[in-house]
Amino acid sequence: MTDSISARVWAYLAESAAGRGADMAVADVCATAVWMLAVSGSWVTAGGLAGSRHFMCVSDQVSEQLAELQLTLGEGPCEDVLRSDSPVLVPDLAVAEANVKWPAFAPQARMAGAAAIFALPFRLGRAAVSAGALAAYRNAPGPLSESELRDGLVLAEAAASLLVSSQQQPHAAQAAGSGPGGQSPALALRRSQIDQATGMVSEQLAISLADAFARLRDYAAAHHRSLSEVAREVVARRLTFTDDQGMPAL
Amino acid sequence: MTAPTRDFGVSAVTRRVVSPPRSAKAHEGTQMSEDLLCETLVELVDTVVADFDVVDFLHVLVTRSAELLEAAAGAVLADRRGALRLAAASTEGARLLQSVQLDTAQGPCLDCFRACRPIAVPDIAAAERIWPRFARAAQQLELHSGQSFPMRLRDQVIGVLNLFRPGRGCLSLAELRVGQRLADAATIGLMHQRSVSSSEMLIEQLQTALNSRVLIEQAKGKLA
Repeated sequence: MTDSISARVWAYLAESAAGRGADMAVADVCATAVWMLAVSGSWVTAGGLAGSRHFMCVSDQVSEQLAELQLTLGEGPCEDVLRSDSPVLVPDLAVAEANVKWPAFAPQARMAGAAAIFALPFRLGRAAVSAGALAAYRNAPGPLSESELRDGLVLAEAAASLLVSSQQQPHAAQAAGSGPGGQSPALALRRSQIDQATGMVSEQLAISLADAFARLRDYAAAHHRSLSEVAREVVARRLTFTDDQGMPAL
Repeated sequence: MTAPTRDFGVSAVTRRVVSPPRSAKAHEGTQMSEDLLCETLVELVDTVVADFDVVDFLHVLVTRSAELLEAAAGAVLADRRGALRLAAASTEGARLLQSVQLDTAQGPCLDCFRACRPIAVPDIAAAERIWPRFARAAQQLELHSGQSFPMRLRDQVIGVLNLFRPGRGCLSLAELRVGQRLADAATIGLMHQRSVSSSEMLIEQLQTALNSRVLIEQAKGKLA
């Protein structure tokens, strides 16, 4: 039973890769998840050192926004999955429960266009904790069916193997500027801007990198802007953090 | 799926060996060597353990092969480029006889590796013309017959298990089976271990790549 589900999922992933004319990669997981799980969009987040988060693929802009919101606010389904190691299924983001659980994320996610949100854990190797999540949203409320959930769990596992196996690819075979684990050049660029901005803010305010990252997050949250947008401003020197008391002005 | 043409499963191996040994020589303590064989086969395939050590593993292979088949035993393994390297030996004689074959690039061990099939040398002295240094060394060590088993999995040969005996003559059919099963089990064990450790290495590479990129970009920002 499980074997046949898994064979089916991998066959669709291979088809998706063939359609792109490329080797199978984590991008195929997001693309396949969208129609197999009947969702509006999907993304894969990997956890890193010291709570860092890496968006390995996103199927659309809303997905990236939802991924970034969680990074900015420090709460949301992927954060919960990385902490608890179990699936988080919210068929209706408007219910009170979701707003209690994620007071900042839930309303903003709805504003971004999500009505239902799901996150499924994956592990790497023999690690005992989850290394990341395959997440998905729907623009209308509704639960994942049992078979969608089963497919989703297999897709999450596939994401883990593809992240790892992409490390085997020779550099020449990867697109210029792409990140580790088959991360697209656009996502890799936005990630590096966040990290560079963190370094710059830490210099500007003479504070630790962790504090600098917190300042960036707080600024983005307070101004309802995306973290990568704020980071881009900092890197372009259009935004400088000078005042240790309050928020910098643009 | 088509039915496998060869079985490597431990149950199949032990089932065969439990049938009465054909060679008269093979056994008074039959039960004991059967137990030892089963135990050894299980040990050889069970390699996914935290403290796996390839030297210890090969030591088990050669000492048990020596004991079960009443011979001096040794193993050579192919390196990444396919060149054979000494890996283990149950006695100094076995080590020397493998070493002289690798040095001269000739001998039954190399033929076995290249042809990917077992090679029997019932009388090493008779092979002096084709393998002069090996044959002379064997005579000095008073090891007069040899048998090499390929360590193979499907099409891939990863090394050779070598046996040397003081007496002339071939191994019995039952002994040949035991020898090949030991080589097969060791191959499965090693291949499995290699695949697990290579995927663990990839996972580590991925995590290192993600984490080091953060540090590098942050440093760039600090210097900007």
